[in-house]
Amino acid sequence: MSKYLLKRILFSIFSLVVVIAVVMILVYTGIKRNVIFQQDDVWTKKSNNDRTMYEYTMWQKYSYLDYVEYGSFLREKYTALYGDDYANHDDFKEDVAAIQNVEKAETNASVQEFKAKYSNRKIIYLEPIKFSNGKLKPGGKGYLFAVHEKSVFYRLWEYFSHLISIEHKNMVKDENLTERYIRFEKDPYSGLFAIVGSGTQHKYLLYFGGRFPFIHQNFMHFNFGTSYTTYRGQEITTVITTPTGDLNEKMQIYPVNLAAGGPKVSTAIDFHSLQYNLSGVVNPTDKEMFPDNYTVYSYHNKHFSRLENSFIIGLISVFLSYGLGVSIGILLSRFKDKLIDKLGNAYIVFVAAVPSLAYIFLVAAIGQKVFKLPYKYANADPLILAYIMPTISLSLGSIGSLMKWTRRFMIDQVNSDYVKFARAEGMSEREIYNTHISRNAIIFLVQGIPSSILFCLTGALMTERVYAIPGVGGLLIEAINKHDNAVIVAMTGLITAISITGLILGDLLLAAYDPRISLSTDSGGGRK
Amino acid sequence: MNENNVNVNAPEIDASMFNVVGNDAVASEKIIAPRYSYWKSVFRVFFKHKGNILLLFMLFVMITSSIFVPMIAKYDPFENVTKSVSFNMSPRKALDSWKNPTIMKDGKEIESPLYKNGPAIKWVLGTGPAGNSIVYNMFAGARTSLFLALMCAAVNMVLGIVVGAVWGFSKRLDAILIPIFNIISNVPYILLVAVLVYILGAGFWQMVFAMTVTQWLGVAFFFRTQVMIIRDREYSLASKCLGTPINRIISKNILPFLTSVIVTLLATEVPSYISLDTYMSFIGLGMSAAIPTLGRMISVAQTNFMTYPWSFWPPVAFASLLTIILYLMGQSLADATDPKTHM
Repeated sequence: MSKYLLKRILFSIFSLVVVIAVVMILVYTGIKRNVIFQQDDVWTKKSNNDRTMYEYTMWQKYSYLDYVEYGSFLREKYTALYGDDYANHDDFKEDVAAIQNVEKAETNASVQEFKAKYSNRKIIYLEPIKFSNGKLKPGGKGYLFAVHEKSVFYRLWEYFSHLISIEHKNMVKDENLTERYIRFEKDPYSGLFAIVGSGTQHKYLLYFGGRFPFIHQNFMHFNFGTSYTTYRGQEITTVITTPTGDLNEKMQIYPVNLAAGGPKVSTAIDFHSLQYNLSGVVNPTDKEMFPDNYTVYSYHNKHFSRLENSFIIGLISVFLSYGLGVSIGILLSRFKDKLIDKLGNAYIVFVAAVPSLAYIFLVAAIGQKVFKLPYKYANADPLILAYIMPTISLSLGSIGSLMKWTRRFMIDQVNSDYVKFARAEGMSEREIYNTHISRNAIIFLVQGIPSSILFCLTGALMTERVYAIPGVGGLLIEAINKHDNAVIVAMTGLITAISITGLILGDLLLAAYDPRISLSTDSGGGRK
Repeated sequence: MNENNVNVNAPEIDASMFNVVGNDAVASEKIIAPRYSYWKSVFRVFFKHKGNILLLFMLFVMITSSIFVPMIAKYDPFENVTKSVSFNMSPRKALDSWKNPTIMKDGKEIESPLYKNGPAIKWVLGTGPAGNSIVYNMFAGARTSLFLALMCAAVNMVLGIVVGAVWGFSKRLDAILIPIFNIISNVPYILLVAVLVYILGAGFWQMVFAMTVTQWLGVAFFFRTQVMIIRDREYSLASKCLGTPINRIISKNILPFLTSVIVTLLATEVPSYISLDTYMSFIGLGMSAAIPTLGRMISVAQTNFMTYPWSFWPPVAFASLLTIILYLMGQSLADATDPKTHM
């Protein structure tokens, strides 16, 4: 059993890697890399060499390639020679200016050195573009740099090696930081205790907070990549977990004043989210609030995060669908070929055949006209009203399919021997249905439960779009429309990982629910 | 003991009680059974339900109209794009404008944008956001959506059946295709279509390719299992023992048996592709704006679906009706193609 599971998990990881590799190949090599500049205003404004240079800068950000500029090579070289004030030396200035003149560039020793050092890379020299009178054209400055095109394997390796980061006390590279520890402390913001670190990226590593799931950790951090077009410069994990909506101001004490015990100030800063300021430059306003270099923070917001929104709507609708779908399915099978069964079948056919779009909008129209429910998430007051129509829309389809399968399995079971035997023993029809048939019929439905719960995490694309809910569902489509490669890869990875995990958990649950089912192919039928 | 009693009571039998009728060499070669034609029985069972005739008629009307209406009356989305008065007209206003050379707008009498523009039926459902005819747009869209669905279903079924039939017999193919299938079935389908459309562009044939490039493998896998079940049935084994070549076993022994399975699958494939097309257009990853589809029409109209319901509900209703009819028809046909119902 455990051997089987291990094999299966290994294969799952393998297929996850393959899927991500395939998507990377599709996205990074399948699409011309110039498309990312289609909607870029900065690119349109730049011209000549500046535009080409900007393209390379962006490609580096999008992780198409790496490049080393001649300038940074020079800085390194002359820092070694003269220390920090290298910029004032004449030979440095001369070398920098060399690439602005084609003849000088050919003879300059530093340029040759640069070319020799990066001979394994592609050297690109953008020659200065000048007017006939010798003046530079706008954006015509010369550039010299060495480009390394990333291969699929390199990119894949980079992706997985940065995927998980685990906090330790030597995480922050800062010589001025003398005290490094990870310890239990009393947490002034929750009133309970917390694990606090110094030298770690996050200050609070484990803490209690007012939001679900009430106990939060920063020990392990998933880094799926950074978004560039959809959410400029934000990490994808941050995008989906940061709360949305207006700021939620609370009376809190700044960390610098904690020892003094006051004063309380109205602020929306989430002091549990403090991170180390790696730039080393703490601005004066931050100095008034924080005693140390942990000055990067996020805010408390009134609404849920994207992930929470999607998960709440999804989870309620999963409960609704399994509750209603299975019980109505059992009811239909009991009254087979009666009026109620015919009505149920009509519903099943309607939901299966009609595009889901049609009934989502039908629900939206009825909810808005008849029940006066808010149509868009942003207009909802109180917020809970915004969740009613989406959960109903989302459940309708799955209720139909669960009804169909429950009914089918129930009817299959009715004529089996154990039911006849139960009848012969004199059990009531109700007892037979509720304790015998339904328990056997449900076996087939058990397998899908973990998947449906896990898939709530990826959001419901259609429903979220119709009701304008800030959720995870639209992220992928948005990214595809805006050519945000990192988000595409991250979301694919996430969805694939969830679907694989769901399948494995489903099989395990099935095996646990029904002892006759053995997952491993060994002989012995599960009795081993 | 009883047997003895029977013997005692049995009547005497002798040869004089029988006539010799001789041996008819021709008749003995014939097997007397009621004439059975498979497809005749299929249609007999199918048409036994009066509802099916109605469905077939409605489907016929919908398909022929979505083929011929756009051929006869060319749909032009931009015919009124310069006349902003004609945008988003309700059915009543549009017909008014068609009848009268001038209409009232904000208390002023202005030139009517749609005066005698095409037949009256063109404006019977009002105008869309660019003054386009909803009726013509709907039929033009339905034609694309139907054609796309049929094309995708055809590609899937043909590739799926051919590969599945071979897959069911070949161990070597099994070793190659099973891991591929396991990996591909883990990739979210919408994602795959989206990425492919993103890469290949949003034309009609690119869409067919994106929608079928992995789906046929699922159909093939399904047929592989079905073929394996029937492959080991006694009659197939007997046929194999008698030396029938494998391709003949596939084409004569196995595929006819799977007709009903094929029709059942087809019954869900076609409507599901219409739904998928609507879905993809709605999320903005469908075919390019130049190609009218039901999905694009819905997605354009959905932002104002409460204010201009006449441009939203007709395409939704048309798509829903089409998919429901196709689905119900497919179910009945699948029942009818199952020989067990022919008794």
